[in-house]
Amino acid sequence: MSNPNVRIDNERVERFLYDEASFLDRPDLDRWIELYTDDGTYWMPAVEDQVDPINHISLFYDDRVLMEIRRRNFVHPRAASKDYKVRCSHIISNVRSEISDDGSLTVTSNFQCVVYYNGKQTLYAGNYVHELLQADDSFKIRHKRVNLINCDGVLGSIIIYL
Amino acid sequence: MTYSDSELDGFVAPTKINRRVYTDEKIFDLEMERIWGKAWLFIGHESQVPEAGDYTTLNIGRMPIVMVRDKALKVHVLHNRCGHKGAKLVDKPCGKIGGFRCCYHGWTYRLDGKLLGVPHMTGYEETGFNKDDPQYSMQKLAKYESYRGFVFATFDSNAPDLRAWLGGAGDVLDNLCDRSPEGEVEVAGGVLKYEHECNWKMFIENLNDTMHPMVVHRSVVDAANSFISTLPEDSPHRDEAEIIPPFGASYENFEATGITGFRYGHHYDGGKSSIHANYSVDPEYEAAMIAAYGKERTREILTFNTHNTLYYPSLTIKSAIQNIRIVRPVSVDRCVVETWSFRLKGAPDSMLQRTILYSRLINSNGSMVGPDDLTAYFRMQQGLQSTASEWVEMHRNYGSDEDLGDRWTNKGTSDLDMRSQYGAWRHYMLGEAV
Repeated sequence: MSNPNVRIDNERVERFLYDEASFLDRPDLDRWIELYTDDGTYWMPAVEDQVDPINHISLFYDDRVLMEIRRRNFVHPRAASKDYKVRCSHIISNVRSEISDDGSLTVTSNFQCVVYYNGKQTLYAGNYVHELLQADDSFKIRHKRVNLINCDGVLGSIIIYL
Repeated sequence: MTYSDSELDGFVAPTKINRRVYTDEKIFDLEMERIWGKAWLFIGHESQVPEAGDYTTLNIGRMPIVMVRDKALKVHVLHNRCGHKGAKLVDKPCGKIGGFRCCYHGWTYRLDGKLLGVPHMTGYEETGFNKDDPQYSMQKLAKYESYRGFVFATFDSNAPDLRAWLGGAGDVLDNLCDRSPEGEVEVAGGVLKYEHECNWKMFIENLNDTMHPMVVHRSVVDAANSFISTLPEDSPHRDEAEIIPPFGASYENFEATGITGFRYGHHYDGGKSSIHANYSVDPEYEAAMIAAYGKERTREILTFNTHNTLYYPSLTIKSAIQNIRIVRPVSVDRCVVETWSFRLKGAPDSMLQRTILYSRLINSNGSMVGPDDLTAYFRMQQGLQSTASEWVEMHRNYGSDEDLGDRWTNKGTSDLDMRSQYGAWRHYMLGEAV
């Protein structure tokens, strides 16, 4: 339930989203993972309006365990697909936040991300849904959902979290 | 200009393959005509079209095809093309219709493809046009048949019966279905579509290439093991911990699992054992299986443990995991690989959930396994542009395949799978006996 009586500091929320995106731009998965709660999840559905990550295929559905494996895999010298530099540029806009009674925020935004990888630029676009918890003077991500507009289309390798 | 049969003959030898087989557009065009135009191809599963009017569309090469169930509940495989000007009749991945109706001039067709109506039928008198002439109906593929719900079709009216073509490799389709307490599976949980910048054969040649996992997938196995080692011993069970580490199994382990090849280019690795053999079994599932089949038969079904099975050229299945992959050639250096998951009817939800987890962990575009395989194919596609050598080699265990009549076996690390595929390649491309 959203609570209209609590004011949301949108600037703080946006700054947090930009910080998160900048870790992926580099990419710096060590610092990116630290933005997540211990039970945090990252989900990239494979169809529009997908409701279920367990009984339906997704492109990504990682909890902290899989994030930890992915972080180690990303820098492993024998991962052939990681021989190529990955450089990303995220643009985030149309940020809207709702606050729930428990103080968590549901933040929706639009994104475009250009990924340069193995000599090729790929443009991804869609929207994000972040579930954020207040943590000290910032936030932690309990859940991030990445809705690609072409999630059910033919896609190549998605080499990095978007 | 194309290649003569004697030139093609020179491109595939018992222990080597000319690089052009992977890089030459003229050979790709001939493969589409002679292999994909003659072999039985996987079209879809009957569970995708449960009711009259349900359809699903696909492409074979550049050709649009539709699988549809008619009012008598028979499944048809038709060219998705209007008999008038040729427009594609349906253009969604799947849907439900009362009949086909062309978006351009409104020609209508029954669900079995027969032309029904042409608007404003005046002006056709004495022109030679006859609406009832079958050439104006939607064209059926030459043959289509279903085996335990799996629908295959071929453009070749002289193709052998589907069951004869499947041969002993059909045991694995049986095993996939038998793993359901009801003996039936259904498509569930969506599809992944993964573009591969490589020749289509590189994907299917990798399926039973058991010399690559410990090299290509070492990074994810290391990453998983190094993280798992940081966890306390009483950490909750994770299916990932059963799925990922076996990709790092030893050469000796893969060697011992064996490869079995069949006519028409089919083969599987494993049988008694595979990298899926040590998965834990959900007690609820096991109980449902025993209630359906009894203890002995359940044990037989669950211990027939293959890794990948190829039905050359289009379909590969994992019966132990209940997922399949379909390769769709696009051009000489491009194909799309689809991953589908199956529900075992009568089994607890945990079984489909494991299938979905496997498909996501191993086959997804975002996984830590598929992209490393694809990198190897991509580099082969590039490396084979080199004129340093005309040949790709496949000598391993050549000359020692054991002939068991309807099948051949050899060590799991042998190139038997390649020999089996190129036997089929020569059969389709050059008319050699299989």
